[in-house]
Order: sequence, then C-alpha cells, then structure tokens
Amino acid sequence: MACEKTKTDLLHKYLDEEMTLLEKKQFEQHLMGCEDCEKHLRELRKTIAIVQSTSHVEAPPDFTAGVMSRLPQQSKSNKWKT
Amino acid sequence: MDAVVKKIIMEVKKGDQQAFAELVDLYKDKVYQISYRMLGNVHEAQDVAQEAFLRAYTNLDSYDMNRKFSTWLFRIATNLSIDRIRKKKPDFHLDDPVGGTEDLNYYSQIAADEELPEDKVVQYEMQEWIQNEISELPPKYRSAIILKYLEDLSLKEIGEILNLPVATVKTRIHRGREALRKRLRNS
Repeated sequence: MACEKTKTDLLHKYLDEEMTLLEKKQFEQHLMGCEDCEKHLRELRKTIAIVQSTSHVEAPPDFTAGVMSRLPQQSKSNKWKT
Repeated sequence: MDAVVKKIIMEVKKGDQQAFAELVDLYKDKVYQISYRMLGNVHEAQDVAQEAFLRAYTNLDSYDMNRKFSTWLFRIATNLSIDRIRKKKPDFHLDDPVGGTEDLNYYSQIAADEELPEDKVVQYEMQEWIQNEISELPPKYRSAIILKYLEDLSLKEIGEILNLPVATVKTRIHRGREALRKRLRNS
C-alpha cells in the first residue's frame, strides 16, 4: 500500500508519465525515502508486465467464412445498385 | 491503410457483399482478441466477434466515414461482450472447490488426455492464470485494461470506443491496475 491514499493517485500519475518535471522530481524524492510507495510502484510495474505478457490470440481459420455465410442474403435489386 | 478501408467500405455500400470479407480479414484478429479477453472463452469469443462483424455489416449506413472504422467496430465488439457478460448466469469456476472435498478443485477432475512437454505446460498454465485474473476484473475495468495493454490503444481512442471522457478512462485503468496488483502481488 502507498503510505497515504493521496499517494496512490500520484503513483499512477508517475507511472503514466503525466507529471511535470517538478512534480516528478518531488515524487522521486519521496520514493527514495518511502518503502511503501516504492514497493507499490514495483508491484504496479510487475502487474503491467504480466498483463502485457499475454500472448496475442488469433481468430480461428474459418472465422471470415463463418461471418460471410451469416450475412443476410442480397436481393437482386441490391446487387445491381450502383 | 485508412484509404484502403474507406475504399472497401464504399464497395460494400454499393452492394459488393464479397468485399466485406476483406474488411473481416483486416480486423478479425483484433476483434477476436477483444472478445476473447473480455469473455475468457474461445467459443463465446468466436460467437461474439462474428456477431460484431454482422452488426457492422447491417449497420454500415450509420457508420460515419470521417471517423476511424476500427474505433466503431471495436465499440460494437466491446458492447456485445459486455452484454454477454451481463446475461451470463453465475456459473461455476474450475478453481472452485469440489463439493464435499477439502482441496480438490475442478482442475484435478479433468483427466489429462495427452502429455505436454514441461515448458509448454508452464507456458499454458501461465497464460491461463493471467486470463483468469483478467476475467476476475469487473467488466468496466476489464475493457479499459484490455484496450490499453493488449490492443495498445491511446486513451483518446479508448474513450471513443467506450464512449467515456478520457479522465474516466484513466480512472478505470488506475482502478483496474490496482485490482490486478492486489491479486498478483504475491505471485
């Protein structure tokens, strides 16, 4: 847990690189001395790394054919519409 | 890319149904990935992803050509996935303890029908575990986390897909990360 509740928001802001240079410096100063926040940040980084390590899944090979076979039948008038 | 997509859409609108197959091929993996990560089940994912393309086809006239097609399509897929989650009855989980037993869960009840090499097993279990953790997130955090970390989309795009202001998207990503952190920190 971050040392205070307000610090959790700062942690996320820091993680997303949304701080001004000054805010960043001040927060890094805080991180140096605060074990709780430092641990919290490490856990968040690990969480993101774990989520990003999921392999990309691909649609099954017959996917497109499946969609195409379910499309509504075209009427003749539609077919020749320009 | 966008010019190609627009050209295909124009052809479909003119009545060339076959041209739609090109559109499906372009986006099927991403749409399927969103549905799969939202639902955590390959059969439901295929069903919902195909339904998303069918809806896109039948509603193509309402698509605004000035906007990104993928944003519109992902929105349909996300909404359908959330609808599906809501309709789902609370069913049992493989992790649930088997009634009347102390530490048997349903995994232990499944007979292994083939031997997998050790590293494959570890990799498979790892992927299963991450998907399980993602599935435990409330759907509104789940969608934000998937779009951000698995589809790599910008906050602005995620906002357009979920129909939310960017500030709300940020909050959902923060809460989703916190919820996952609490579950994953001891791993």
